Amino acid sequence: MTTPIISLENVTKNYALGSTVVTAVSGVSFVIREGEFTAIAGPSGSGKTALRNLIGCIDTASEGVVSVRGHNTAALSDRRLTRLRLDTIGFIFQNFNLINVLTVVQNVEFPLLLAGGLSSSERQERVNTLLAKVGLAQFAKHRPNELSGGQRQRVAIARALVTRPKLVLADEPTANLDSATGTQIIDLMHELNRNEKTTFLFSTHDHRIMDRAERLIQVADGRIASDEQVQR
Amino acid sequence: MIAQLRLLLLVAFRSLWAHRVKSGIVGSILFFGTLLLVAGTSLLDSVSASMERSITGSLTGQIQVYDKNARDDLALFGGMSMGSTDLGEMPEFAKVEKELTAIEGVKAVVPMGVVNAMVMSGNELDLMLDRLRTAHRSGDREGLAQTKAQILGVAANIKEELGYRQAITSDKAKAAEEAAALEDVLSEAFWARLDTDPDGLLAFLDTRLAPLATDGRMYYLRLAGTDLGQFMEVFDRARIVEGTAIPQGKRGVLISHRTYEKLLKNKVAREFDAIKKARDEEGRLIATDNLLADQVARNARQYQRLLFQLDPGPARELTTRLQRYLGSQEADLGKLLQSFLALDDQSFDERYDWFYKEIGPHIRLHDLTVGDVITLRGFTQSGYLKSVNVRVYGTYEFTGLEKADIGTAINLTDLVTFRELYGKMTDAQRAELADIRTSVGVKEVSRESAEDALFGGGAAEAPVTEAVATGFDEFAGVEIARYADGPVLDERTYNAEEMRSGLALNAAVVLDDPTTMPAVKTLIEGQADKLGIQAVDWVSAAGMLGQLMVVVRIVLYVAVSIIFLVALVIINNTMVMATMDRIGEIGTMRAIGAQRSFVMGMFLLETLALGIVAGGAGAAAGVGLIEYLNRVGLPATGADIMVLIFSGPRLYPTWGLSNVGLGLGIIVLVSLIATFYPALLAARVSPRVALSGKE
Repeated sequence: MTTPIISLENVTKNYALGSTVVTAVSGVSFVIREGEFTAIAGPSGSGKTALRNLIGCIDTASEGVVSVRGHNTAALSDRRLTRLRLDTIGFIFQNFNLINVLTVVQNVEFPLLLAGGLSSSERQERVNTLLAKVGLAQFAKHRPNELSGGQRQRVAIARALVTRPKLVLADEPTANLDSATGTQIIDLMHELNRNEKTTFLFSTHDHRIMDRAERLIQVADGRIASDEQVQR
Repeated sequence: MIAQLRLLLLVAFRSLWAHRVKSGIVGSILFFGTLLLVAGTSLLDSVSASMERSITGSLTGQIQVYDKNARDDLALFGGMSMGSTDLGEMPEFAKVEKELTAIEGVKAVVPMGVVNAMVMSGNELDLMLDRLRTAHRSGDREGLAQTKAQILGVAANIKEELGYRQAITSDKAKAAEEAAALEDVLSEAFWARLDTDPDGLLAFLDTRLAPLATDGRMYYLRLAGTDLGQFMEVFDRARIVEGTAIPQGKRGVLISHRTYEKLLKNKVAREFDAIKKARDEEGRLIATDNLLADQVARNARQYQRLLFQLDPGPARELTTRLQRYLGSQEADLGKLLQSFLALDDQSFDERYDWFYKEIGPHIRLHDLTVGDVITLRGFTQSGYLKSVNVRVYGTYEFTGLEKADIGTAINLTDLVTFRELYGKMTDAQRAELADIRTSVGVKEVSRESAEDALFGGGAAEAPVTEAVATGFDEFAGVEIARYADGPVLDERTYNAEEMRSGLALNAAVVLDDPTTMPAVKTLIEGQADKLGIQAVDWVSAAGMLGQLMVVVRIVLYVAVSIIFLVALVIINNTMVMATMDRIGEIGTMRAIGAQRSFVMGMFLLETLALGIVAGGAGAAAGVGLIEYLNRVGLPATGADIMVLIFSGPRLYPTWGLSNVGLGLGIIVLVSLIATFYPALLAARVSPRVALSGKE
């Protein structure tokens, strides 16, 4: 059994929506371990997004405990929560969310600069290795708006991986890509998972991702409808 | 850390470029703000410095001292109060001078005292009657006719004026008598008596017509008494324009050149000067400017002011010359002068020169002329009227204040004259008074012995009536004749001791190095109680002129504050909008691990970078502008007040590092303050917005 990165224990998340309180997640418990390739799936309004935010240290639980590498996120200040995100989680967004004023290299290097601690040459080496891995070595000096959607998402993947996070949280990574590109991106992530042992957690309703996932957590009405290991 | 700062700078500059419109708006506000600040404060400092030089080099010195018990503030260039001011007195200037010159850094201490005096100009009609008498005595027929025409002109003027006076007078009988006398003078029969009864005719004119003529004009002169030798040496801004300086030890008056030209000059000549100024300096034309055309027309109607002043000889000569000049057959000089004065843009310059060359020398161009002995009349401190005769040696001006009415309303005289007008007697006068007292038998009488002295206590005393009568006789016989024609001209040469010792009202303390003023002032204040004086700096000593600078500074600062308030609001709004635009980007950064402080720093750094770049460019432009103005000079166009503020016709401003530092510092501070709120908003953006936003 590998080490748990994330564990949710009886987690409930309530949002104030005007004067009413909406319960987005209700009494959810599960654990994500190193090396997993997991998809959380569910229709809109199922609580999938709330769950993603809780795991991504963007929100904290109303009740129950969300532990990220052993830290109860509800007990952390915004500053320490931010640091936890930086050190532990790599984000991949539906809209790629690259910083348009920076080049591809600078975008990938960005989290390393925030984290500090590496020399310039160490950073360069890491960035270049990753860019080669996602197949964008020749686009290093380009700006995001000079790239295609698929290329942008590859940059985003490189950026998510650059800090060597324990977990990559991918939020609908294929939603804005055509089907062929989407498949390539999924292949790339799957490859990384297998070769580099990178843990991926998807929040998605893309069937191609669900089909490739090794564990599928189905969410409905804020609860876990099913949580199954898929043997491939 | 350094790498992170580099990233921040990179993001800042790239974002500035990416949001060019926003950066352009904020940048140009910062640019013009700095430009305005740097140029504005440089100009102000330059104005301030040049005014300081003008004022301290003209009259005040760096520090002024005066009686500590003075009831009014010292205002050398004129203050707000119209009446006379009570500055107290420094009874022994020599003592003050001795103590103050001992202070290190004091170059000179110049005694001063300001008094007001009246001067009467001569009566035109009196001069004409003199001319008539001369012409009659020498048998100059033509001269007689000329002067007769002048007198008839004056009589006609008086008749017109009398018409208005009759309508409102209560003494109808007297008015009728005056009218009858005028009718007499205006009749041909009257002038026939020139052959039969010239003495009777002259007597009639002297006794009946002359009193009807308005008196000569009365002028008020503000006089600063000082040691003129020392004054001209210490105050390098003072400069003789016409005439000469007053010789060492002599008494006399130097009239302010602007007063001489603006107040004392013949009306027609003054109008000529004004029209020339309007054409040359203000670029106005008689043909297109109605006001100027009116001025020309009005001046032509004033021809009598020339006509009445001409002696018969020059009048004849001028008639011929004018006929030739104008190509006219007209024999009447009045009509010739009128058409000479009815000029246009083409003929103006030529006629202006012609006027000063051909007419000027034959008339009295100024009511008080350089070289005249004038009678100054003033009310002394004790309230009696005192007259002093002095010579006008020349006119002077303060360089830099030539065109300033406020700075030139002051005339210079010696200390002896000042003390007489102020009411202090000289030793000579005191001795003279003692002589008179002895000769008339006046004795000091104490209150206790007054009765005895007046009404006779002892048998040895003469009867009272007798004593009084004797006194009066002797007084009239011995002394009064000397005073019958008013005061005499004191031509004595005084030595420096006599001039300087005694009373002064205030004194200018001139320093070796003007920048030591505050320190020296403190040292003087240390002696102040002992000497019974107070010390003020030149700004407050200058009175309204000093206030003017304070006002100019306040106006600039208010303007700058308003501009900054507006800039603050605009920058703030623009930055808030920019924050809204960049919410996605900020959210992403926050999600992937950027702290709030990073976001805030990013925004502040962006504005800081913009502030330094745009502000730096603005400062450079401001410096460039000042350098340019320094080369070509900023003309003091329009009002004379500008000439005063610029201390001359052109200001050559300079800039200093302090102007640039202040300008940039303020601009950067303002931009940071303006960005603080938007940056705070940006820091509060949740990382949630970066994620797909399907909440």
